[in-house]
Amino acid sequence: MRIALLGLAPALVLSSALLGAQEGVTDQQIVVGMSAPFKGASRSLGIELYRGSMAYLSEVNRTGGVHGRRVVLKAYDDGYQPDQAIKNTLKLMLEDRVFLLFDYVGTPTVTRVLPLLKKYDKLHFRLFFPFTGAQPQREPPYDRLAVNLRASYRQETAGLVDNFVAIGRSRIAVFYQADAYGRSGWVGVREALASHDLKIVGEATYARGTKYTESLDRQVAMLQEVRPDAIISVGAYAACAAFVRDARKAGLAVPIANVSFVGSESMLELLVAASKADGHDYTVNLVNSQVVPSYENPNVPVVKEYLTLMDKYQPAPPAGLADADYKPLRHSFVSLEGFLNAKLLVEVLRRMGAHPERAKIAETVATIDGFELGMGRPISFAAQRNQGSDAIYYTTVEDGRFVPIRDWKVWTK
Amino acid sequence: MRVAKLFRKTMFGIFLLFGLIALSTSALCVYTVDRQLSVEYEANSRAIAQTIANSSMDIILNRDLSTLQSLIDQFKEIQGIKYVYIANEDGEILAHTFVPGVPKEILRGGPMKLETVQRRIPGFGEFIEVSSPILDGIAGSVHVGMDKGLIALKIQTAIGQQVYLISMIFIVSVVGSFLLVNLAAKPLVRLGGYATQLAAPAAPATITAEDVQALLERNDEVGQLARLVRHLSARDAARTAE
Repeated sequence: MRIALLGLAPALVLSSALLGAQEGVTDQQIVVGMSAPFKGASRSLGIELYRGSMAYLSEVNRTGGVHGRRVVLKAYDDGYQPDQAIKNTLKLMLEDRVFLLFDYVGTPTVTRVLPLLKKYDKLHFRLFFPFTGAQPQREPPYDRLAVNLRASYRQETAGLVDNFVAIGRSRIAVFYQADAYGRSGWVGVREALASHDLKIVGEATYARGTKYTESLDRQVAMLQEVRPDAIISVGAYAACAAFVRDARKAGLAVPIANVSFVGSESMLELLVAASKADGHDYTVNLVNSQVVPSYENPNVPVVKEYLTLMDKYQPAPPAGLADADYKPLRHSFVSLEGFLNAKLLVEVLRRMGAHPERAKIAETVATIDGFELGMGRPISFAAQRNQGSDAIYYTTVEDGRFVPIRDWKVWTK
Repeated sequence: MRVAKLFRKTMFGIFLLFGLIALSTSALCVYTVDRQLSVEYEANSRAIAQTIANSSMDIILNRDLSTLQSLIDQFKEIQGIKYVYIANEDGEILAHTFVPGVPKEILRGGPMKLETVQRRIPGFGEFIEVSSPILDGIAGSVHVGMDKGLIALKIQTAIGQQVYLISMIFIVSVVGSFLLVNLAAKPLVRLGGYATQLAAPAAPATITAEDVQALLERNDEVGQLARLVRHLSARDAARTAE
C-alpha cells in the first residue's frame, strides 16, 4: 500500500503542473487534513482540538466560506502513535490530496511526520499549527515546513522555572512522558534551570499511553526521595492526573505544574472525581501553563467569539473516529486553541486569494504581521519566524475551575 | 509374570539411556545457545550503538534533544533491546528510554564507561550493555542494553523443544519395546506350558494341540528347544516303559 502511494508522488507532481489545478481545492471547497488521537488515553486532546476548529469553520462555511469555498477538515485517528501518524499523513497527501495539513497533535507524532514533508518538498505541503510546543518544527531543517501559532515548551517551562525560583522553590524535579514530547519539556526545564545555575534535582518517567487507572507509585517514590520544592510534569492528562493523585496520597504536597499539552480540563475532571471518591482534595497546589487565554474571561474578544460559537454549534467529535462513550467538554483550553488555529488558518486562506497555491503558502504566512486574532496580543510571522504567538498564561485550580494565577507568592517556600 | 519382569528390566535400560541423552544434549544446548546468542546479541547491540552514535553527532551538536529521543525510541522497538541511553561528555544522560527512571545502578556505574558490561538491575533484569563513543567520545557516548532474559527464554524454548522430541521418542520406544518383548516372550510361555504338559500329562492342559504343532514347526531356537523337550520326554517315557 505504502509502496503504491509512494509511486504516485511523481505522477501527482506532474499531473498538477500540467492541469494547473491545485490539489485539495475545488470550486466548492478547500480540504485540509488532520491526524490526531481520537481514541485511547489521549483522545480528549484530538477531539477537543477538532471541535474547537469546527466551531469556527462551521461559522465561516455558513457565512459563505473563503472566497466562496467551504473549508473541510478531513481527519484520521492516529491514537497518538507515530507510525499511524505517518500512514495517515501519506494518505492525506497522496490519496486524499488535501491542500495542507492542520491541527496535528503531539510531539512524537509530529517529529516523525516532519521528515515526510521534507521528502515530498516538491509537493509544497505545509503543516499548520501543530498542537505541540516542541523545537523540531521551530528549528532548521524543518522550520520552513511547519507554521506554529502557540508558544513553545521551552517558553512554557522557562516561565514555570523562573516563577518557582523567584519564590524560593529552586529544587525542581521533572515528571515526563518517555518520548520526544517529554524530552522536549525536560530540555526546557534543564535549560531554564541552567540559566539560574541550577540543575534538575530528580526525574521520573512514564510510558506513553499510561492510563489513569494505573499506579504511578514508583515514580512518586523516586521523586519523593530527592525532596523537590516543585515538580514540573510534561505529559498527557491521564498519566499526569494519576501522578498527582498518587503523589498527594503519598504525602508529596509540593506544587505540581503541567504544561499546556496536558489537556487541563480532562485532567481536572479526573482529579475532581477522585477527590470526591477518596474524600481527599487532589486539586490543591496545581499550576498549569497555557498558551491561550482563559476561556473563563469573556472580556478577551476571541474568547467571547469562541464561547458564542461553541455554544451555537456544539460541534460533535469527528464522525466514526471517536469512541461513543466520549463526553465532549463544553469549553476547554484545547478547544479554544483549535478555535484560534482555525481562525488564523482562515485568515491565511483569505490572503491567498481566489486561486490558492501550496507553493505560495510561505510567502502568504509571512504577510501576517501584527495581525489581531482577538487575544489582545498581535500575531506576527516573518521569513525567519514561524511561530505566531509567544503568549503564556499561568493558571491554578480554585473551586474546581482553572483561574489565572494572581500571585505566585502563595507558594513561597 | 515373566513377561512383566523382562519388560521392567528393558524399561529401566531405556530410562537410563534416554535420561543420559536428555541430560547431555540439554547441557550442550544451553552452552551452545547461550554462547552463540550472547556473541550475536553483543555484535547486534554494538552495531546499533554505532549507528545511533553516527546519527547522533549532528543532532547533539545542532538540534533539539527531542529529535535524539525520537531516534532512540525507534531502536527500542527492536526485539531484545531493553534500553538505550545517550550521555554527553560529562556523563550527563541526555536522552534515555527508561521507565520509571534511570536506574541507580547505571547512574552509579558512570555512563561514560565504554567497555561491554554485564548489568543486573533489581526489578528490571539482567543485561549485556555495549557502548559506542560519539565523535571519539568528545561528544558523549551511546549505550545499548540487550535483555539477557531473552537469551534465557530462547534457551528454555530450545531445551523445551528438545525435551519434547526426546519424550516423543521415549514413548515410541516404550511402546515398541513392550511389543517386541511381548513378541519374544509369547513362544517362551508356550514352550513352558508344553514342557509342563509333557512332565505332568494328568494336569490340566495350558496349551492347545494347534499351539503345540505350531511350536514344534518353528525354525528358531524356541522350535529347537520344543523338539528337544519332546525328544527327552519320549526317551524318558521309553526308559520308564523298559
